[in-house]
Amino acid sequence: MAADIVDNRKCSKKRESTVCMLSRDILPILPVKIREIITELPGEVMEEIEEIRLRLGKPLMLGLTREDVMVTPQGQPTTIPEFGYAVTEQDVARAVHLVSGSSIYAFEEEIKNGFITVRGGHRVGLAGKVVVDKGRVKTIKCISGLNIRVAREVVGAADSIMPYLINPVTKEFHHTIIISPPRCGKTTLMRDIIRQLATGIPKLDFKGCAVGVVDERSEIAGCFNGVPQKDLGIRTDVLDGCPKAEGMMMLIRAMGPQVIATDEIGKTEDAGALEEALNAGIKVLTTAHGADREEIYQRPALKYIMEQAVFERLVILGRSRGVGTVEDIMDLKNGNSLVR
Amino acid sequence: MVKLIGACLTVIACGSLGYTWARIYERRPQQLAALEIALQILETEIIYGATPLPEALSHVAAKCDWPMAGLFRYTAEELGKMKGITAGEAWERAIDRFSPDSALNNQDLLILRRFGVSLGASDREDQAKHLQLAKTQLKQASIQAESLSRKNSSVYKHLGFLGGLMLVLILY
Repeated sequence: MAADIVDNRKCSKKRESTVCMLSRDILPILPVKIREIITELPGEVMEEIEEIRLRLGKPLMLGLTREDVMVTPQGQPTTIPEFGYAVTEQDVARAVHLVSGSSIYAFEEEIKNGFITVRGGHRVGLAGKVVVDKGRVKTIKCISGLNIRVAREVVGAADSIMPYLINPVTKEFHHTIIISPPRCGKTTLMRDIIRQLATGIPKLDFKGCAVGVVDERSEIAGCFNGVPQKDLGIRTDVLDGCPKAEGMMMLIRAMGPQVIATDEIGKTEDAGALEEALNAGIKVLTTAHGADREEIYQRPALKYIMEQAVFERLVILGRSRGVGTVEDIMDLKNGNSLVR
Repeated sequence: MVKLIGACLTVIACGSLGYTWARIYERRPQQLAALEIALQILETEIIYGATPLPEALSHVAAKCDWPMAGLFRYTAEELGKMKGITAGEAWERAIDRFSPDSALNNQDLLILRRFGVSLGASDREDQAKHLQLAKTQLKQASIQAESLSRKNSSVYKHLGFLGGLMLVLILY
C-alpha cells in the first residue's frame, strides 16, 4: 500500500513544516517501499532531513542538519550499516522513473548537468555511468545513486541584513556579493533577498523593484516547467536554466530589471555581462564559493571582477552558529565591516 | 402472415450477426492505423517537444478518436495518481482497461505491451527507436489485418445473410 500523501491544503504557506513539504514534494518521487520507510521515521528526524541518499546496494541514508544516519527497513534511524535498509536495483530504477515523471527524454539537458529539479524546487543529483560524446557529457546511463536535496525556503532569512544592503537615503540596492562555503545557506539567503527586493520592504520604506533572475542551475527559483516553485516576490522574472552571461544580456534587453540576481559568478564572460549591466544602471546581486575575502581573490576570473571594484557590499556566510550564520557584512568601497 | 414476419426477422438477425462479425474485421485495421498515427503524434511530442510524458499522453488523447484515446488517457491518469508506478506499468494497466473496447487481437496488444516497457525510460534517441519499431510493427499488423478484413468481412456479411435465408428455407 502506498503511503498517504498529505493533502496540499493542510500545509499552510507561512509555517510550512518539513513533514508537510516532504509528503507533498518528496514522497511522490520515491519508490513505494522507501516512501513507507520514510513515513515511519520519528517526527524529529523527519524535521531535520536535508538529503535522502539512495545508493545501489548500500543502506538508505539521510543527511540531517548535523550528521547523517542510516534507516532500518522499519523506519528507525541507525548508525550500524548492516541494519540499514539496503537500496535495491528496483528502488533506484523506480526512483529515476518517478523523479523524471517517467520522461527521461525531457530531462536530457538536466541529466547532462547531473541533476533534475522536481516540483517544489528540490534537486535530485544523479550518479552512474557517464556517456561521453566528443569530449562532452552526453548523458548518464545505468544510474546507481540519487541524492534528493530538500530545498528549504526560509522566509525572513534576510531580514537582519537588508538594512545594510539598501542605501537609506536614495533607497537603492547596493551591488552585493554573497560568499560562503558550500551548504551554508547561500542560495536560501539570496532567495529571500530577491523576494524582499521584489515585494518591497515597508520597514525600510523600500518600494520594491523589478528583479531579473538568471537561474542557470535551477537553484534559486527551483523552476518546474518554467514556473518558479519558490516565492521570489511579485516583481521577479526568471530565466531558468539559462547561461549566466547570455541570460543577463537577455534580461537587460528585454525585461528591464532594476536588479539582476544570479548565482555562482566566476567565469570570464560573466565579467563582460556584469559590466553591461552596470552600464545600464542595473544593480547586481550574486554569490561565489569561498570561505573569506582572500579566498575569492585566488580565483582569476573572480579576482578580475572584484578588482573592477563593482561590488559595494560583501556578505560572508558560515555555519559558526548554525546554517546561514551571517559572519560579516563589509562595505567594499572602504573595506570596513558594517557589523563589527 | 406470422410465419412471414418470423422469417424476415430471422434473416435480419442472422444478417446483422454476420455484419457485426464483419465489422470487427473492418475495425481492426482502422484501429491499428489510428494507433500508428497516435504513436506518430506521441513521437512528435517526445522527440521535438520533449514534453513530459503525462502531458504528452494527454495531448495525444485529445487528438485521437475513441477508443484509441482511451489508451493514452488511462495511462496519463494512472501516472497522475503518483502511486509510485513507472510509465511502463501505467501503460500496461491502461492496455488492460482499453482492450475490451478495441477490436485488437492479442498479437496487436503484444506489440503495444512490448513498446510500453521502454516508454519514457530513456533519452530521446532511444525513445525514437522504440517508437519507430512499434510503428513499423503496427503498420505490418495493419496491412495483414487489412487483407484479412477484405477477405473475411464480405464472407461474414454474406454468410450471415445467406445463413439466415437457409434457416428460413429449412424451417418454412
